[in-house]
Amino acid sequence: MHPFAFLKTDGHLSSSVAGFLKKLLTDKIADAVLAAAPTPYSLLPMPTLFTDPEQIEKANPLAPAAPFNTARQAASILKHETGKRIALVLRPCEIRALVELTKLKQCVLENTIIIGVKCLGRMENAVYLEASSQNANLTQAFYDDPVLQDRICSSCAICTRFQPVHADISLSVIGMSANESIGLSAETDVGLAVLKQLGFETCDAPEGRKDAVNRLLEKRESAKTAAFEKTRDKTDSIEKFQRYFADCLNCHNCRVACPVCYCRECVFLTDVFAHDPEVLLRRASKKGMVKLPTDTTMFHMTRMAHMAHACVACGHCSSVCPSHIPVADVFIRVAEEIQNLYAYEPGRDLSEAIPLLVFDEGV
Amino acid sequence: MKYEQPAIGVYICHCGMNIAPKVDVENVAAFAAALEHVVVARDYKFMCSSPGQSLIIKDIRERGLNRIIVASCSPRMHEKTFRKACEQAGINPHYLQMANIREQISWVTKDSNDATAKAKDQVAAAVARVVYHAPLTSLEIPVKKSMVVVGGGIAGIQAALTAAEAGYNVHLVEREPSIGGHMAKFDKTFPTLDCAACIMTPKMVEAAQHPDITLHTYSEVASVEGFVGNFKVGIRQKPRYIDASKCTGCGVCTTKCPSKVISEFDQGLTFRKAIYSPFPQAIPNTPVIDRENCLYFTKGRCRACEKFCEAHAIAFDQKEEILTVEAGSIIIATGFQTFDPTPLTQYGYGRYPEVYTSLEFERINNATGPTAGKLLMKNGKPPEKVAIIHCVGSRDSRYHAYCSRVCCMVSMKFAHLVREKTNAEVWEFYIDIRSPGKLYEEFYSRVQEEGVHMVRGRVAEVTDIPENAKNEGRLTVVAENTLTRRILRVPVDMVLLGVGLEPAKGADDIGRMLGVQRDKDGWFNELHAKLAPVKTAMSGIFLAGCCQGPKDIPDTVAQASAAAGEAVSLLAKGTVRTLAEISYIDPDLCSGCKTCIEVCPYTAIGFDEGRRVAVVNEALCKGCGSCAAACPSSAAAIRHFSGRQIMEEMEALLL
Amino acid sequence: MKEFEPKIIAMVCNWCTYTAADLAGTSRLMYPANIRIVRLMCTGMIDQKYILKAFLDGADGVFIGGCHPGDCHYINGNLKAVKRISGVRKLLEQFGFDPARLKLQWIGASEGPEFQRHMTEFVSTVKSMGPNPARDCMIL
Ligand SMILES: Cc1cc2nc3c(=O)[nH]c(=O)nc-3n(C[C@H](O)[C@H](O)[C@H](O)COP(=O)(O)OP(=O)(O)OC[C@H]3O[C@@H](n4cnc5c(N)ncnc54)[C@H](O)[C@@H]3O)c2cc1C
Ligand code: SF4
Ligand code: SF4
Ligand code: FES
Repeated sequence: MHPFAFLKTDGHLSSSVAGFLKKLLTDKIADAVLAAAPTPYSLLPMPTLFTDPEQIEKANPLAPAAPFNTARQAASILKHETGKRIALVLRPCEIRALVELTKLKQCVLENTIIIGVKCLGRMENAVYLEASSQNANLTQAFYDDPVLQDRICSSCAICTRFQPVHADISLSVIGMSANESIGLSAETDVGLAVLKQLGFETCDAPEGRKDAVNRLLEKRESAKTAAFEKTRDKTDSIEKFQRYFADCLNCHNCRVACPVCYCRECVFLTDVFAHDPEVLLRRASKKGMVKLPTDTTMFHMTRMAHMAHACVACGHCSSVCPSHIPVADVFIRVAEEIQNLYAYEPGRDLSEAIPLLVFDEGV
Repeated sequence: MKYEQPAIGVYICHCGMNIAPKVDVENVAAFAAALEHVVVARDYKFMCSSPGQSLIIKDIRERGLNRIIVASCSPRMHEKTFRKACEQAGINPHYLQMANIREQISWVTKDSNDATAKAKDQVAAAVARVVYHAPLTSLEIPVKKSMVVVGGGIAGIQAALTAAEAGYNVHLVEREPSIGGHMAKFDKTFPTLDCAACIMTPKMVEAAQHPDITLHTYSEVASVEGFVGNFKVGIRQKPRYIDASKCTGCGVCTTKCPSKVISEFDQGLTFRKAIYSPFPQAIPNTPVIDRENCLYFTKGRCRACEKFCEAHAIAFDQKEEILTVEAGSIIIATGFQTFDPTPLTQYGYGRYPEVYTSLEFERINNATGPTAGKLLMKNGKPPEKVAIIHCVGSRDSRYHAYCSRVCCMVSMKFAHLVREKTNAEVWEFYIDIRSPGKLYEEFYSRVQEEGVHMVRGRVAEVTDIPENAKNEGRLTVVAENTLTRRILRVPVDMVLLGVGLEPAKGADDIGRMLGVQRDKDGWFNELHAKLAPVKTAMSGIFLAGCCQGPKDIPDTVAQASAAAGEAVSLLAKGTVRTLAEISYIDPDLCSGCKTCIEVCPYTAIGFDEGRRVAVVNEALCKGCGSCAAACPSSAAAIRHFSGRQIMEEMEALLL
Repeated sequence: MKEFEPKIIAMVCNWCTYTAADLAGTSRLMYPANIRIVRLMCTGMIDQKYILKAFLDGADGVFIGGCHPGDCHYINGNLKAVKRISGVRKLLEQFGFDPARLKLQWIGASEGPEFQRHMTEFVSTVKSMGPNPARDCMIL
């Protein structure tokens, strides 16, 4: 059992959380805090790097929206040691991606305080904007109202890894009344030290939280099974696969949104796939016609082959697709097959070797 | 990337009657002529002949061809030939691509139509691929003028002397306290029966005194880095606990040392001291202290040697040292060890005191051995009847399926020596006699004439239960004489086991460090069984002696000289060309994940911390492509095996 | 109707399986003409996309041949290939490809007869599976 502390909210969930983050800056526990906050121009929360305690009052990391997976932004701050201590408020899928990116030497996790959110999911941007236009206090309302909670995106609806792994402190709303207080649990020594420094009294976690987590887990598991089944039906032949991805525009948004596609430039944008006219004509001659640009199916399958072992199931590839292709539905399902094959779970453990880098006669 | 507009010439070889008529070569040429970018397509009787090559050269010059396809035999056969032709005509040799239509089509396909269709596909694939070939060049790197020889048996000594005579610096690394290997243990050598010490000792001395040879005895190879021409070899010098620069080799210490230890050199038949030289003619003659058995090291008292050593050479505080030497080439000469016959319980080795391995018998027979060369049993009496069993552990699928090559001759040498030194009767039990060396068959006849009983048959059992009381106390050898189909029970006093040869212990580590493969029995693999018998697949690393397989001294010496010759030829040339078909990492694509660094088996990739990108060391890269397959963005790609080239080839095959 | 003749891509390493294929030739060991060989330096250089490319372009089977474990010319390229290939196989399976269409086999340089045997067997396995479904649909 991790040491636990209550963060009183008294009906002001967002500002209490912001207040907690503010103390990290005022008490000089962190030099900067990365957390989601709406911009002056839109309600959509964007990952924002705060150094000023006054500004951080705007942060709203529990808002049920995330225009993208913050791991890559986090990695850009953590690219190399700066001597500064940085606190990051991240969702579990973002932490998983950050761990994978660390394994891929894209960032260093030394000197950080990772604050993970026990996550109830995010809404698609449009849904969020619409809902927040109707409810000025959407964040608070979301945690009180199961109907709002059902409006999360399809990937979150089947997410079973909603509890952060590899966080120093986790912010927990599940099984708590968010309008009274939420939980802070110290999952590492670093986390405990921070809570102590901030003057929190730690105690055992209250009863009943576990049940709430289990209920949610069950619900998600069955949703996942059903969704996987449906997706399998829609993709279990190459013909169906073509139908599924038929409207793909080759915009590569999915791969840009993918937090673990860490390549600087996708191979599909390099010379390897820049075809000469002779090649295109030759391809057309094979069946009398060829759709341009070519290699759309190759792109999706190769992306799976290269990255499925590391897929953190955040669902952002679906969210960004201009053709509304449920990319994540296939990706997450296939990823689970591949991850089971390798007995690998992305984000589980920094020291767990990337399966393609373990060489033995196995699998 | 395409480098210039391709102008391709395609040449289909008939290979006499080997490709045509199975493959309809004219048809294939006509098909090729219609392919994109193809300027000329011809078929010709023998492309590899000089008129064949001239055809290509002429077309390149006259028709401005810049890509060449030769559809013929395997590229493993003639890629070099045609690359040279390209070069001669003035285009980059890597603008050649071959289609293997002989080994992989005409010779393996029944139906002529099928063969022709397949040949067309492979030609089309080669054409599609060659469009994306790039002109490649390689670097010329200077070669270090020194070499390392691992193993100081006769093979290592011979190789070292040959190379040193040519004026190159040789580091001879031997793990035992003295050089000499197995040959130093023998008394006489077949077939000429010259005294082993008489021919071996001078060689050992010569090696020790040669100004260009540095002996590293009691040393092992600790690490190997680098590549052909530029190896860095770490040599671990185990502590002798004696300051070699002070030691005069007087040997007083060994007489004063009170601790008695079983002698490895004498195969456990005598004792040595804790401070010892393995044998009187040891080179160098600086003794070593065996830490495990030294009273000072184990119990903290004694130091007798120190007291008596007038040269003050004892150095109990000596530490292991690692010395790094540079080498242009490396010769492996780690030799063999003999098969331990204990598991063959039916022969009673270890159970009956009068059952000996051949190596033990060599020591008994040796003037410096346990009996000062007299042929005596453990009870001090000479034997009256001796049995010699061939093929112990060899030609036996449970142990070693191969023939150990020397045991027949060794056994007959023993038969002769027994007859010469005693009046004993000798019985040899063999499966087949293998005596295919110069003067070997003659030696066989000679031994037969000396009255040795030759029995063809594998021995079933050696037992101490006699057939009749008169032979109480003796051993009985039971075997079927397969020529007469009779079971024999021969009472004897002594049994000698002609044990097989197996790779020396530690050969696996050497193989791993040097990247040289070993065969299923553990012998080092030569590059080619016939045409490159002393080279290995690792350029710059050669094989000498029994480490490559069992052989006798003449073959060992011949091979050692050959290995030295190859090594010297490399050093004399002075430079090596790096491979052209190696990895290149595009810094604009590299995301600095270091995955490639992790997968590269040759530590050929470094990291540029400034730009945060991986960088290939062209001298170290061997072009395995591990990095290319592991890098998801294809920032790392193998020249001549790029994703583009491979996928174009495949696409054309599947058109 | 003519019997279905599959087209099979064999990606083989230069040092072992390619050499075995040459040896099969030198020994005049006949096998079906359905095999199209792509010579690579080592199985360790096989990117997943090559396999996908072959299947999407209509290969009815893909055979990958390398050195036996421990014999790879580049130490362990063959072992590097193992996981990559099993991952692609799993992936293809999700989209209706019979996993047995992708085969990985170690064939040493001296194993000409084994090369012949594996080619013959694989051709007949693939034959029994029928054509690659990608042949009949438009691949985007
Ligand atoms: C009983 C017997 C009798 C024989 N009689 C004859 C005969 O009469 N005539 C004949 O022609 N042939 C004879 N032979 C064969 C002969 O012994 C070999 O041909 C010869 O010794 C081979 O020499 P070598 O240098 O290759 O190997 P070795 O003699 O085995 O020498 C290898 C050397 O390398 C050293 N070494 C091993 N590993 C390492 C390492 N990792 N690092 C450093 N050093 C290492 C060893 O200590 C050894 O000194 C006989 C063989 C046997 C077993
Ligand atoms: S694997 Fe690719 S991206 Fe990663 S460091 Fe190597 S070359 Fe760069
Ligand atoms: S090809 Fe790549 S992995 Fe192989 S030796 Fe060269 S750099 Fe290393
Ligand atoms: S060289 Fe054959 S598999 Fe690596």
